[in-house]
Amino acid sequence: MEKGWGKMWALMVLLLLNWVSNISSLSVTVNEVECVYEYVLYEGDTVSGNFVVVDHDIFWSSDHPGIDFTVTSPGGNTVHNLKGTSGDKFEFKAPRSGMYKFCFHNPYSTPETVSFYIHVGHIPTEHDLAKDEHLDPINVKIAELREALESVTAEQKYLKARDARHRHTNESTRKRVIGYTVVEYVLLALASALQVIYIRQLFSKSVAYNRV
Amino acid sequence: MILRSLQIVVLVLGILSPASQSLRFELQSGHTKCISEDIKSNSMTVGKYHVVNPNEGHPLPDSHKLTVRVTSTYGNSFHSAEKVETGQFGFTAAEAGDYMACFWTPDHSPQITMTVDFDWRTGVHAKDWSNVAKKGQVDVMELELKKLYDTVTSIHEEMFYLREREEEMQELNQATTSKMFWLSFLSLFLCLSVAGMQFWHLKTFFEKKKLI
Repeated sequence: MEKGWGKMWALMVLLLLNWVSNISSLSVTVNEVECVYEYVLYEGDTVSGNFVVVDHDIFWSSDHPGIDFTVTSPGGNTVHNLKGTSGDKFEFKAPRSGMYKFCFHNPYSTPETVSFYIHVGHIPTEHDLAKDEHLDPINVKIAELREALESVTAEQKYLKARDARHRHTNESTRKRVIGYTVVEYVLLALASALQVIYIRQLFSKSVAYNRV
Repeated sequence: MILRSLQIVVLVLGILSPASQSLRFELQSGHTKCISEDIKSNSMTVGKYHVVNPNEGHPLPDSHKLTVRVTSTYGNSFHSAEKVETGQFGFTAAEAGDYMACFWTPDHSPQITMTVDFDWRTGVHAKDWSNVAKKGQVDVMELELKKLYDTVTSIHEEMFYLREREEEMQELNQATTSKMFWLSFLSLFLCLSVAGMQFWHLKTFFEKKKLI
């Protein structure tokens, strides 16, 4: 009966932990690739974005070597490639329209969280102006302005994600410092108590008095 | 609300805020994927999702059904749908924080991978501009400029938010440093007092044993 209860508890705790990890964060699966698809409407569009790896649990290991980021065009060519980073910005001009694949690859077993932002920006060109009579030259200027504002927004997202990671690191450092100090005190007191007990034992009458 | 799949593979990719992109990702049967987004309080958010049909014209097979849940950081569910192919949700975020949209498919014996198209807009991009255009009878140019103005306002607010976070971080670091300062004094005091107690205890012990 007790064994059954023990097993049930273990299972519930496992499920609960899984649920807790669902809520509190964010992890890329072990040793795997996670891909996101984004459709680019026009050829020549500027695809920009950034991503930040939020270190999950910093226990004994110091730095995670980083994750790999690959962008594949609809034709299958690799348009952009970054290896072993913990976060970076990227920007490229799309050589053709279609579905682009943005992949994150985690080479190690510890799960990692990635916060990312991808933006596809289109500025009407002379060709588009000629085709569509509703488009004014001023629309080009407005589009340029919009793209400039988008770049500011993207930068803010990047800063926000990095700030979150920095905050996470600081909070973990604080907890660890306090934890290690308390453990240090306890160990010191324990060591000195053991010393005293040992010395007392050396002088106890039951252990031969003449030994000392 | 515990997701009882034996292989709960959690993937959460945090999308860095008002992205108006339609995101596509792959979902394997029996697995869960979650996307989280940081939403400020009292901001509108709108989401649309559908399963991409691999064969155009034919209806989707029964196995290609999604279970969706949108929850806040505190666990309140804002939207939930079981075994649907398409759907949408919209709400005003009462609490600020990370909102998570989780997708899950039931297990299937040959493992199938389906593509889910998910469009999640918050903040500026969630506003329904076509309604604004109709109401005010504004022309296209003015609408574009209104959009730019809203974007600039949101950038401004975001800067305030980042400044606040930076200040909080500074305070945290300051608190950690001062705590370390006091803790080091405490450890010195503890060390000396433990040594003193040892010495006093052993002295009285030996005096009792008439060795001194």
